[in-house]
Amino acid sequence: MLEGFKSQAATFAADVDQALYINLIFSIILAFSVIGPMLYFAWKYRASNVKKEDIENVVHHTGLEITWTLIPTIMMFVLFYYGYTSMRALRTMPDAKNAITINVEGSKWKWRYEYPANANGFVHKVGGAYTKPTMDGHGNVVKNGTMGKSALYVPVGTNIILDMTAPLGDVIHSFYIPAFRMKEDVVPGRITKQWFNATKVGEYDIECAEYCGTDHSYMFSRLVVMPKDKYEAWFNSNADTPKGNYANSGDAVLQRHGCKSCHSIDTDKVLFGPSLKTRRLTKEQVLDVIKNGQNKLGYAMGAMPSGLATGADAEKIAEYVANGMTGTKPASFATCAGCHGEDGKGQYGTAPSLVTYDVDLLRNVLKHGKKGMMGTMPQFPYVTEKEVSAIAEYLNK
Amino acid sequence: MSKSYLEAGETHCAIGHPKSVFWQWMLTIDHKRIGLMYAAVIFTFFFVAVFVALTMRIELFAPGAQILDGDTFNQAFTLHGVIMIFLFIIPGVPAVFGNIVMPLMIGAKDVSFPRLNWFTFWLYIFGALIALSSLWTGEGFADTGWTFYAPYSLNTNTNVITTLVAAFVLGMASILTGLNFLVTIHRLRAPGMDFFKMPLFVWGIYATAWIQLLATPVVGITLVLAILEKVFGIGIFDPSKGGDPVLFEHLFWIYSHPAVYLMILPAFGIMSEIIPTFSRREVFGYRTIALSSASIAGIGYLVWGHHLFTSGMSDLAKTIFSFLTFFVAIPTGIKFYDWVATMYKGQIHMTTPMLWALGTMVTFVIGGLTGVTIAMIGADIHLQDTYYTVAHFHYAMLGGVVFLLFAGLHYWFPLMFGRMYNEKHAKRAFWFNFIGFNMLWFPMFIAGYLGMPRRYFDYLPEFQIYHQISFFGALVFITGLIYMFTVLISAIKKGEKVGPNHWNATTLEWHLPSAPPPLENHSKVPYVDFRPYEYHHGDPVVKFNYETMQRID
Repeated sequence: MLEGFKSQAATFAADVDQALYINLIFSIILAFSVIGPMLYFAWKYRASNVKKEDIENVVHHTGLEITWTLIPTIMMFVLFYYGYTSMRALRTMPDAKNAITINVEGSKWKWRYEYPANANGFVHKVGGAYTKPTMDGHGNVVKNGTMGKSALYVPVGTNIILDMTAPLGDVIHSFYIPAFRMKEDVVPGRITKQWFNATKVGEYDIECAEYCGTDHSYMFSRLVVMPKDKYEAWFNSNADTPKGNYANSGDAVLQRHGCKSCHSIDTDKVLFGPSLKTRRLTKEQVLDVIKNGQNKLGYAMGAMPSGLATGADAEKIAEYVANGMTGTKPASFATCAGCHGEDGKGQYGTAPSLVTYDVDLLRNVLKHGKKGMMGTMPQFPYVTEKEVSAIAEYLNK
Repeated sequence: MSKSYLEAGETHCAIGHPKSVFWQWMLTIDHKRIGLMYAAVIFTFFFVAVFVALTMRIELFAPGAQILDGDTFNQAFTLHGVIMIFLFIIPGVPAVFGNIVMPLMIGAKDVSFPRLNWFTFWLYIFGALIALSSLWTGEGFADTGWTFYAPYSLNTNTNVITTLVAAFVLGMASILTGLNFLVTIHRLRAPGMDFFKMPLFVWGIYATAWIQLLATPVVGITLVLAILEKVFGIGIFDPSKGGDPVLFEHLFWIYSHPAVYLMILPAFGIMSEIIPTFSRREVFGYRTIALSSASIAGIGYLVWGHHLFTSGMSDLAKTIFSFLTFFVAIPTGIKFYDWVATMYKGQIHMTTPMLWALGTMVTFVIGGLTGVTIAMIGADIHLQDTYYTVAHFHYAMLGGVVFLLFAGLHYWFPLMFGRMYNEKHAKRAFWFNFIGFNMLWFPMFIAGYLGMPRRYFDYLPEFQIYHQISFFGALVFITGLIYMFTVLISAIKKGEKVGPNHWNATTLEWHLPSAPPPLENHSKVPYVDFRPYEYHHGDPVVKFNYETMQRID
């Protein structure tokens, strides 16, 4: 059972469960009113037990027919009523003045949350993709995926309105919190709304319920319901995620943001993206890649998407990944360093060492690109003569 | 003794008089042969889709990706849905028994337009080939789900257009079948047979034919719009071009909701034939059963919005659609009480078809009542797009339509082939199917209520136990299916020979000069001045001289 499912931790969850409970009782009554007599007649009037003369052609009985039309009809109206009232509980939006309105964006395949500006004018933007489970070569799960901390943080006992949309060009998703019994589609190009008022502090699963493609099964997120004071403290700070149990060290941050599913961090091995161990980047560069993505080099494995982490998390990742470098270098080398390493000595599996290259060779390669064992070196025809010389000089040092 | 329609040369052909037996089948315009060919094709597709489903069940046995990745799984459930819906269950009962039995039941020589019937069959085959061709062409089979929701279907690179074209062609075949049956039922009934003397199966086919004729064009237009949007970017459904994706959902369900009644109504008709025959008495409440079919078909047009309770539709619209939906439950419930009342003071012969019919009462009652649950708006907001909905749909469609199709297969088998299958084995196969079916789908109600969304190829470990019970249910169920078809197929050639009225039934299809029936059915057109299920002390009241078709009772 999902965490918190039993606790009906939203004000209207009990209404929905009550409707379902009444439905269950009525369903059992109605099912037995058909199946019961059916089984009884099948036994009582079995061929070996009935003489032909005893068969009677009863084809009409007004009283019975009215009964089995009227009673189920009344039951249907009762069920309609409870369906309607539970819908009213789910769908009657609180006044926006007495509620926190959070913008929810569902896109392939992550949930993002944007809060209203706090007292400092800082806007919290949290959320991101779920970490998939890790598997060995045989497809056995080694480690379960985690909901990550790409969570929606809300205070307990407060009306929360969700203004939900999906980017144009994306597809329909559906924001579903099973523990709260609530769900509404997230449609590109329009804003749909949901609200809830969580009654218990805790963590609850958020799932995508409308089929949306490859990673539909992984479009998870988590709702974290916090005590009001803790929420306020976080909301009014500029920290990306709340302190305490919710914040983690850089390694865990990497893990939860799914960096590790593309980049190895403890070996030289190139997974989908280059290893972060040998890739000695500055904090600023890492931050830049995280924020803006990386596709300048046209990797065979595709672009590094932007915005995988934000704010404090991104800072931590950058700090963790960055390795202090020495020596001055031209600014334009930053791009080279992406593949060839900060020291130009190349990186295992990505690009060769440049140390032995002279100015002419460099110029030629930069203009026309080069096919190597490890893939294609892209062209950089816009590098000026002056810059080529500077790079060559730097490398020869 | 007249010759059977199955013998070489005993057929009329669309073109010429071919000598070869093969071409006699390919060009046949005989409704019985066409029905048999439909049966052969749709059950082949059925087994393909069953094994696709089994592959998905194996993948879902444990969390994590084992044998299928996300994209392949998405294509697999789309393939399963497209085959089951468009190639199997929509043609289903009408194409097989509407063709084979309906003209016999009203004393006709064939359907009104036999050549159109032949054309329709081949149009269906053509549509099926288009659908299957997209498995091996382009970027692979569509991964949209059988509902083709926009904008997903507009954005995906897979071969959606081919599948949409196939669905369009298959829809055309469905419309033509409906048209043909409508005209047949209106124009070719035996003299004296007014609408309230028709067997109830004919009522089911009649109600279905109207849905096929009136609702299918809506989905046709929708599919064409989706194709135009994909090719020319006309911006009807794509929000980035100013279109409305929810409009697609409305248009799609305006057809696809009545379509589920299109599937179930003729199946209910089969139930209405089997229950009185094996209770050896007249059916209870003939008129209410007949008119409830018509009213379900009518109300069915007005309830499509209950598929959109969580799609962002206005709360007022939700309320109206929910209210109307409950009115479908009432005539359906009345049918069930009528069937149970038919057993009262009868003489119940527990033959294989009766066993299937009574088993279906259990499974369809569950399928129907869980449908009532999700007609309640508040409940549906929680259960929409979860396994609860999946389980409801399979209880209603597989446990309703397909189980009754199997019931019909066992019921009319001696009529179609003049031979009888081994009842001991057929009953055993039923129990495998019934137990496996419930074990396969019942756990999904619970998983769905607990929050297991549908169309997930990987899931949170909390749900593993339900998937595993389902998996073992699937194994039992598939064993039962293979067992059942082995029993039936082996009986086509080797079964014991039986006479024209093996079940002691009353309706006209059992008053034929021989079993299997001759090419042009009844020797003479009978005069019908009796009700369809007249029994007296357990014996059919109406008896015919099968050569002259004069009553001899």
